[in-house]
Amino acid sequence: MSLVNAIVIGLAMGFVFGFALEKSRVFEPGIIVGQMQLRNFLMLKVFLTAVAAGAVVLAILNGFGFVKLAPKATLYAADLAGGVILGSGIALAGACPGTVLAQIGAGYRDAIVTLIGGLAGAVAYSYAEPALSKSVFGVSSGKLLLNELVGIPYWQGALALAACCVVILVLLERAFPTSREYGSDVDGNLERAERDHQTARVAAAR
Amino acid sequence: MLALTSRSWSPYVAGTLIGLLQIPAFLLIETALGASSSYVTVGGWLASLIDPGIFKIDYVARHVAATGKNWWQVALVAGIAIGAFVSMRLSDSRRRPISPIWACALGSPSPGRRYAVAFVAGFLMLFGARLADGCTSGHGLSGTAQLAVGSMVAVAAMFAGGIVTAMLALRRI
Repeated sequence: MSLVNAIVIGLAMGFVFGFALEKSRVFEPGIIVGQMQLRNFLMLKVFLTAVAAGAVVLAILNGFGFVKLAPKATLYAADLAGGVILGSGIALAGACPGTVLAQIGAGYRDAIVTLIGGLAGAVAYSYAEPALSKSVFGVSSGKLLLNELVGIPYWQGALALAACCVVILVLLERAFPTSREYGSDVDGNLERAERDHQTARVAAAR
Repeated sequence: MLALTSRSWSPYVAGTLIGLLQIPAFLLIETALGASSSYVTVGGWLASLIDPGIFKIDYVARHVAATGKNWWQVALVAGIAIGAFVSMRLSDSRRRPISPIWACALGSPSPGRRYAVAFVAGFLMLFGARLADGCTSGHGLSGTAQLAVGSMVAVAAMFAGGIVTAMLALRRI
């Protein structure tokens, strides 16, 4: 694959990705902060749907031998610590590394600062990487796959995962109807009446 | 319902569309969807303008190298901005410079405070994503769908970190 082809394909795929992120409203800081405060579940809905669709697609492509999987190795310390730091950044940014770009496209100016902070964070990590990879954060347990631990073929495990996602999505939609999660400006900024309703639902769900 | 001009699509339709992007990713680029390595590619290249010695770090050299996978992902995230821009224009829903939720969440309408928090947030996000070797896309969408144990640990940690931070450091929106 030539560099130019890869870039053209990347731009085309990114266009669809960004279009879907904007239409889903999952790029909105109000939706992401609302998710992390456990009162808006739109982010989890988009996320689990994308995981389920991806799992079905990969079950077929890999099951019939069209593609090889490319899973990342398990590094427990790095996955845990990195995940926690990433998560705290996501809450404060109201974005994740991909949706920051959707925010910039949609007009949020603070997202440009988030992007610059992100580049600085990536460079800072790069300078620390030689030391970190020799520490506990470089300890790898190999490419552990859930289906191999259970002892079933990948395609069966992937379809089971997709089924679990669908069940969770049905329950989520029942507890938190999507129509109530947008707010009047589709930015997850819910008006007081909607918010109280939502709070009552969260209390009832508990 | 799915008009290109509507302001919102069902999360189930949009999520499916995003999941289907794994098809061209695996078939054409032989990799999974991801976003955070592109920050090393671009950040490392920018840093090399000031410190050419940064390429002595193998991690940076690997990410900045002119390979299809590296620059495919940079193009992917650039494409995200373009796609979101076009979608926003079609539905005429341009966002204000700062989301109104921040005045509430940060307890102050000051743009300066928001910009400062945004910088720190971006820094944490990418430092954490690179330490974990993936973000919401690479671990979340792709790793989970591939049943990778490490990715599931990273996603659980990500939500745990996000929930604790949003509960303790941000006000109720």
